[in-house]
Amino acid sequence: MKGLTQFIVDLRNSKDLQEENKRINLEINNIQTKFSSNLNGYQKKKYVCKLIYIYLLGYIDAIDFGLKETFELLNSSAYSEKQLGYVALSVLVNNDKAKQTTKDYLNSSLSLVHQNLIKDLQSNNEDFNCLALQFIGSNFNISESSTVRVEESDEDSAKWLELIDIVYSFVTSPIQKPLTKKKASLALYSLLKLYPQVLLSNSNWIPRLLTLVDDKDYGVAISCIPLLHYIVRLKPQFVKSIIPAISLRLYSIVIENKCPEEYYYYKSPVPWLVVKLLQLIEHFFLLTDANDFSVLSIATLDEQTLNNFRSVVAKSIQNASHPVKGLPNRNSQSSILFQAVSLAVFLDASADAINGAINALMMLLDSNETNTRYLALDALIKLTARSNTNCLTMTDRFDVNLPKIFHLLHDKDISVRRKSLDLLYTICNPSSYNTIISKLLDYFPFSDFTLKSELGIKIAILAERFATDFTWYVTTMLKLLSIGGGSNSNGISYISNEVWERIVQIVVNNESLQKMTCKLVINLLKKPFSASTHASTQPPPTGVSENLIKVAAFVLGEFGEQVSSTEGFHISLQFRLLYDAYFKVSLTTRAMLLTTFLKFLVKFPDEDFVPDIVDLYEIEALSIDLEIQTRSHEYLGLVTSQSNFKLANSVVKPLPAFVQKESHLVNRIGSVSQIVGVNRSKSLLVLAKNINSTSKGESTTRSNTLDDDDEEDDSNPFGDEKKAPTTLSPNWYSGYHRMLHYDAGIFYEDQLIKITYRVLKEAFNIVLKFTIINNSAKTTGTDISGFTVLDLESLTGNQDPNYVLNIKQLPDPTIHDKSTMEIGIKVRNVIENHESPILSLSFMCGGSFNSLNLKFPVLLLKTLSSTVLTGIDEFNKRWQQIGDLLGVKEGECSVKVSITHRYNSSNISRLLTRLGFAVVHSTTDDDVNEILVFGAGILHTQKTNYGVLTTIRSVDQIGKEFEIKVRCSGGGVADVICSTLKEIFEGKF
Amino acid sequence: MSIQFLFLLSRQGKVRLSKWYETISQKEKGKITRELSTLILSRRAKMCNVLEYKDMKIVYRRYASLFFIIGIESGDNELLALEIIHRFVEQMDKLYGNVCELDIIFGFDKAYHILDELLIDGFVQESSKKEVLRRVAQQDELENMDEFDHILA
Repeated sequence: MKGLTQFIVDLRNSKDLQEENKRINLEINNIQTKFSSNLNGYQKKKYVCKLIYIYLLGYIDAIDFGLKETFELLNSSAYSEKQLGYVALSVLVNNDKAKQTTKDYLNSSLSLVHQNLIKDLQSNNEDFNCLALQFIGSNFNISESSTVRVEESDEDSAKWLELIDIVYSFVTSPIQKPLTKKKASLALYSLLKLYPQVLLSNSNWIPRLLTLVDDKDYGVAISCIPLLHYIVRLKPQFVKSIIPAISLRLYSIVIENKCPEEYYYYKSPVPWLVVKLLQLIEHFFLLTDANDFSVLSIATLDEQTLNNFRSVVAKSIQNASHPVKGLPNRNSQSSILFQAVSLAVFLDASADAINGAINALMMLLDSNETNTRYLALDALIKLTARSNTNCLTMTDRFDVNLPKIFHLLHDKDISVRRKSLDLLYTICNPSSYNTIISKLLDYFPFSDFTLKSELGIKIAILAERFATDFTWYVTTMLKLLSIGGGSNSNGISYISNEVWERIVQIVVNNESLQKMTCKLVINLLKKPFSASTHASTQPPPTGVSENLIKVAAFVLGEFGEQVSSTEGFHISLQFRLLYDAYFKVSLTTRAMLLTTFLKFLVKFPDEDFVPDIVDLYEIEALSIDLEIQTRSHEYLGLVTSQSNFKLANSVVKPLPAFVQKESHLVNRIGSVSQIVGVNRSKSLLVLAKNINSTSKGESTTRSNTLDDDDEEDDSNPFGDEKKAPTTLSPNWYSGYHRMLHYDAGIFYEDQLIKITYRVLKEAFNIVLKFTIINNSAKTTGTDISGFTVLDLESLTGNQDPNYVLNIKQLPDPTIHDKSTMEIGIKVRNVIENHESPILSLSFMCGGSFNSLNLKFPVLLLKTLSSTVLTGIDEFNKRWQQIGDLLGVKEGECSVKVSITHRYNSSNISRLLTRLGFAVVHSTTDDDVNEILVFGAGILHTQKTNYGVLTTIRSVDQIGKEFEIKVRCSGGGVADVICSTLKEIFEGKF
Repeated sequence: MSIQFLFLLSRQGKVRLSKWYETISQKEKGKITRELSTLILSRRAKMCNVLEYKDMKIVYRRYASLFFIIGIESGDNELLALEIIHRFVEQMDKLYGNVCELDIIFGFDKAYHILDELLIDGFVQESSKKEVLRRVAQQDELENMDEFDHILA
C-alpha cells in the first residue's frame, strides 16, 4: 500500500509535533471525505490501515469514525479484508474512551461482533474460523485475578453460551486440524475464565478436554495447557486423572526423545512443552481445596507415574551438567533444569537427589552469564525454602558453598546481589546463623543504598529468629544500629523504625536483658563500633547513629538506674552521654531525649545534672518545633510545680510488657516471604511475659479453630458444591453381581472394550486385578487411546474411612491389545453395603469418546476366610455362645430369600465355599424334604476379626425359598452379612 | 503462567511494536512503558536480562538497536521467555531476510502477524519455526490472491 507507506514516511520526516499534528489532521479530513464516497475493498483497507496507524501513534481522541467501514471489511468474503476488519476492530473498539466497567465493555463488544463471530465460526473456510477464534482469544480475555464474571442471569449470557458451545466443539472435534484446535483451545480458555459456570454445570466436558494433553500434535499440547490448568483449578478432583497422562508425555519426550524434528529448538526437544508440563505439575502440587488440604500428594500417585516424574527430573538435571555450545542451547537446557529442580522438592526426592540438584546449581553460580547466576540463585532459594533441607549448609559443604554465596554479594549486577541476599536469608539455620549474620553485618557498609534497608530488616529478623543467647542478640542488634546509622539524601534512615522498636520491645519484655543492654548501650555511646573493624577499606562515613541514640534514650530512661551503681556506668555519666548527643540528632530523637531526661530527673532528683535539665527545658520551651516546645513546657511544669514530683512520678511509670506476637518486620522482607511461606519456625526469643499472659487466650482460640476444622471435615471435601451421585453406566450390574459371587470373571463388556477381573485376598488386604482388553481391535483394528482412570470414588466416609483404596498400577493410556490395572483395598472396619466404590473410566476409540462409570463390590464378606470347625456340635456351641454374648437382636439376623431357579444342597455348599465359608454340615441332595447347610468363617478387618456363622434352610419343598440365619461375634455385623448374602442369592439390589 | 505484554524499544526510547495481553488502561500502559524504558535503557550490556518490576518479572534482550521486552508473571520461567524473544527474532529474520529496525517500522503488519501465530493471549501456541512461517506465508498468499482478484475485477 503505497499511500500508507508515504503517510508513514511523511510522519517520520516531520520536524516537530506541530508538523506531525498538521499532517495527521490533513489525513483525517482526507479519510473522512473518502469514506463518504464509494470505495472498493482495497481503498477501504488502505484508509482503515491509516486510521489504525494514527490511533497507534496515540491520537486516540481524533478518531471517532470508521466503525462502519470496519464492519464492511469484516463482512467481506476476501480474506485480507476480513483480517484487517478484525485487527481494526480490536484496536479501535476499546475501553479507554467510554468509561465503562470491564464487564459492560465486554458485553457491548460482544453484541457488536457476535453475529460476525458466529458466522465466521460456522463458515467452512478454516481461515475464517481461525480469524474469529483469534479475535475471541485476544479480545475477550481478562486476567485470572479479575473478578469479572458472566452469570447465567445476565441478559447476554445466552450469546456467551452460544460462543462457548461452538468453540468447545472445535476443541473436541476429531476432524478439526491442529491449527484450529490450537486457537480454539486458547479461545475457550479465555471464554471459560469469563463464564466458569458453564464448565461447572457441564462436568462431562472435562474428561474430554483433559485428553487434549495426549494430542499427537505438539502444538495442540502446548496451547491446551493454560486451559487444563484452569480446569483443574476449578475442579481439583480431576487432578488425579490427568497426572498419569502428563507423566507419560514427559517421559516420552525427555527419556525416550520422541519428538518430531521441527519441534526441536536447537538441540532440545520441545522445551516449551516440557517446561510447561513441569510447571503444571508443580502448580498441581501447590493446589489446595476449599479446606486448605493439598489436592495432590505423592501418596496419591501410583508408583509408575511417580517413577516417570522422578526419572524425568533426574534426566533433566543430568542433561544440564553436560556443557553445550551456543546460547539458545544453554538457555533452553537451563530453563528445563530450573523447572525440574523446583519440581523435585515435591517428589519427595531422596537427600542424594536434592544434593545432586544443589551441586548442579552451585556449579552454575560460577557461570559467566549473569542470567545463569541470577536464576541459579533463584532456583536455590526455591529449593531450600520448600524442602526445608539444610543441604546447603550441612557441615561438609559449609566451607565450599557459603563463601561462594558471600562472594556473589559483591557481584557487579544488583539483581544478583539482591538475590544472593535473599538466598542467605533462606538458608540461614541454627548452625550457620552466626557466620551468616556476622558476614552480613560486615557487608552492610559496602552494600548499595537501595539494598541497605532490606539488608537491615533481614539481619534483624534472622537475629531474632535464631538467637539462643540474649547477649549475642542484643550485641548484634546494637551493632547493626550503630553501623547502619546513616541516612539517604531524603533523610530517611537506612534502618527502618521497626528495627529499633523491636529491640526495645524485647528488652522491655525480658527483665534479664535490661541491665546488660544498658551497659552495652553506654559502651557503644562511649566508643562506637563503626569503621574501626574495617580499617583496611574505609566505608562511607556514617554520622551519629540516630537509631542507637533512640534505643539509648529509651533503655537508659527506663532501666538506667539498674546499672547506676556499677563503676563506669553512673547515672550522671549516662546523662552526659545523652546530653552531648542531644544537639547532633534530629527533632524526633530530641523529643525522645527530653522524655528520658524527665525520667532521670524524677528518679534522681538530687544529682548535679538536675539544673542542666531544667535549663534545657527552659530553652527548648521556646523552640520553634511544636512537639519539642510542648514537651519542654509540660515537663518544666511537671518538675517545678510540686517538690515531691507526685504528678511527675505517675507520668513516668514503667512500661507494661508489649502484647505482640509476631514481629512487624516480617511484613517487610519482600519477595522471599511468598516462597518461604509461614511454616518457618517462629522466634526463639519469645516475648516472655507476653506469652504467659496470652497463652490462655491463644490456646482457646486454637481449640476453636480445631473445632472448626472438624466440622468442615464432615462436610464434602470439595466444598461448595454438593456432589451429585455419579450415574452408573448401563449393564454395570451383571459384572458387579459376578464379582460378588466369583473371584475371577468378566467385569464389563461392550463392542469396544472388555474388562476382566481377578480378586486376590489376603486377610484384610484385597487386590483387584483388572485386565482391559481392546474388543475393537478384532473388529475394526483400531487402538484404544487416552485410556484414563478419571476417578475412583469411594462412597465411604472421609473421616476414618471403613476401607482405603489405592491404585497400584495404572493401565497404559494406549491399548493395542490389552493392559492391566491393579487396585489395592485395605479393609479397616465394618463396611456397610452401600459403600462400594465407583470406578470412572474414559477412553477414545476411533474418534469417539466413551466414558464408563462402573461400581465394583467392596464388601465385608470379601474378606472372609474359612475356619475349620470339628463338627456340628462345635458349630452349635459357638452359635449358642454368640447368642449368649450379644443376644439375638445384636448378634443374629435372619432373612427370607426367594430364588428364580431351584437350588439343591450341593449348589448351596459350593456357593458358600466360593464365598469363603467352611461348610460344617450339609444335607445330602437326596433329601428332598429339607435342605440345610451350615457354614463358618472369619471376617478380617484391620481393626479386629469377627467369627461368622450361617445356616441356610429351605422353607418350601422345591428349593426356591430359603431362610438365611447369620450370627456374628461383632454387634450389628450379622445384618450386613445377611443382606449381602440375600443379594447374592437373589441377584437384585 | 502467561506473558503480560511485549514491546520493542529503540535505543532512543521509541516504542516500535507493542502487544498487551492484559486489559489495562492506556494510561497504565504508558506508565509501564515509560518506567521500563528508563530502567532498561540505563542498564549496562553485561547485566542480567531479568528484572523484578512490581509483582512481575521483566525479561529483555537487545538485538542491534532494538530492545525486546517481555513482562511475565513472577513464577514463570525466565530463560524460556528469553528464548521466546529469540524465536520471534529468528522468525522475523527469516521472513524479512536479515531483519532491521526499519523493516519493523514499515512492515509492522508482518511482525504482528508472526507474533499472533506465535502467541495467543500471552500463551505460546506454536513453538515450531516452520509451522509459524508456513502460516504467515500462507496468509500472505491469500492476501495476494485477493489483490489479484481485485485487479482482474
